[in-house]
Amino acid sequence: MIELRKTLTGRIVLTAIATVILLFLALPIVVIVVTSFSNNAFAQFPPQTWTLNWYKALFADGSKWPAALSLSALVAALSTVFSLIIGVTAATALTRSELPLRSAVYALVLGPLVIPQIVTALGLFLLFEPAAMLGSPLAIALGHTVLASPIAVLILIATLRGIDERLEDAAASMGAGRLTIARRITFPLAAPGMIAAAVFSFITSFDEFYISQFLSSVDTVTLPVQVYNSLTFEIDPSVTAVSAILIAFAILALGLVALVRWLGTGRQDPLLSVENTVGVATPGGEAV
Amino acid sequence: MAATLTAGPARPRKLLASRRTRVGILYALPVVVYLLVLFVYPIFSTLLLSLKNADGSFTLHWYADALTGVNLSVLFTTLRISAETAVLSLVFGFLLAQAITRLKPMLAGLAMLVVVVPHFISALVRTYGWIILLGDKGLVNQAMVDLRVPGAPFQLLYNEIGVVIGTTSMMLPYTVLLLYGVMRGVDRRLLAAASSMGAGRVTIFRRIYLPLVAPGLASAGLLSFILSLGYYITPALMGGPKQTMIATLINQQVTKDNQWNGAAAQGVILLLLTLAGLLLVKLASSLGASRKKRSAS
Repeated sequence: MIELRKTLTGRIVLTAIATVILLFLALPIVVIVVTSFSNNAFAQFPPQTWTLNWYKALFADGSKWPAALSLSALVAALSTVFSLIIGVTAATALTRSELPLRSAVYALVLGPLVIPQIVTALGLFLLFEPAAMLGSPLAIALGHTVLASPIAVLILIATLRGIDERLEDAAASMGAGRLTIARRITFPLAAPGMIAAAVFSFITSFDEFYISQFLSSVDTVTLPVQVYNSLTFEIDPSVTAVSAILIAFAILALGLVALVRWLGTGRQDPLLSVENTVGVATPGGEAV
Repeated sequence: MAATLTAGPARPRKLLASRRTRVGILYALPVVVYLLVLFVYPIFSTLLLSLKNADGSFTLHWYADALTGVNLSVLFTTLRISAETAVLSLVFGFLLAQAITRLKPMLAGLAMLVVVVPHFISALVRTYGWIILLGDKGLVNQAMVDLRVPGAPFQLLYNEIGVVIGTTSMMLPYTVLLLYGVMRGVDRRLLAAASSMGAGRVTIFRRIYLPLVAPGLASAGLLSFILSLGYYITPALMGGPKQTMIATLINQQVTKDNQWNGAAAQGVILLLLTLAGLLLVKLASSLGASRKKRSAS
């Protein structure tokens, strides 16, 4: 295996295998983007003629998409705020203090990430149904925060661990108050991590399906639930346009995190390096 | 910080420590309260509901129900599809991670990008992409017809092939990322040493490399197994009635049949299976840590 790359056949075989598997990952995404511009949405690939009709149909009268999009954006914004508040406080507690039952708190934070989402969703349904809160954007945002806040906590723990505490100590020794230290030292250094935490919380909520489906009502349908419904019940070709927009959105968000992280780490590795990409993908380190 | 504290005199240290403890508890409160109310309590009430009759008395009949007849075969289907997914994503993940560690840095970065980006795109969207690709006139069948593959076009949707293709592509980023980390952690000098002592390629792979990465392989496989257990979107959209998985059943019982107790019992069963799997992951990773220590000494 070690010398495999040294032989020509070994190289060819390995590259071929890698290419096939990478296609396996990339094709479903590429095909959606291409199909969203195709004149006959389902019939052929590659398409014969091109159109923007599916994008125009999204905003036509009577379209359900704008309402779903604005609900999802509202819910995601709310849970980003909740997750950041929880994330900053929890990460501070876990890295900058002596906390009794530290490992129990940590296990509690990891819980929502490892427990099947459908179980969490069922529990939240049983909680909000008697309270007559089904369909409330607040309830959906509170539910999404259960999944998004642990991600924010993990990212911010990694961020705070990466900041040299001696800088804060030095500032304190020179007479800086706690607020000044937080504002002038910790916050600027933690900014890339905060941005990453915000972006990932937002994406988590924006793409979340299980909790949304259990907590939505007929009039409050989030974007993923609307996508699911149009894939199962009604054939609506503009779903390809929505999917393509979601893809573009995810890529932009990831690009933003990668850029901020790259600038924040002092541009050690090239932007398009394995280290950088893996760092963006596993922002909480190896905790998960 | 602890080190600088112990260096100081005894009295201020104690004062400082208690202040740090108080701050810690204060800052930990939001996350603890939030997750206790919106995560632990709901799961606890799910557990209670699964043990209750309509009149509130204790019963195990929802579990008996969940473990007989159609429900039992759904459970077996869930385990089967999850196992198939785990094996495939492990094999593909191993090959791809192996290839990435050997590519030139620029290409490796690009390849890793193709692994990571899909991971952050909604599973719903990727599933839809597969539905377009695997249809009768989709790209895959079209290509096979053009290549004159006998028997083409094949039925690749609304059966188990479709579901397993879909779930495998969802789990693949996890296994690649995990295995890539494990492979980077292997001490190359061990392989060089074995080679210098005359071991052949196959021997080195089998006797040195594989034992070193085996715990990582085990946790990656188990992880994709666990994650597949609760999967709903892909089986529901790409499978037929025979590929109904436990999450689909839970969803149906809540949204269509109003059968919350039954759904709760199935949720608890899913939870227990997951916890058992996590225990095994923990075991595998502690085994890996001890092996690494031994190989280092």
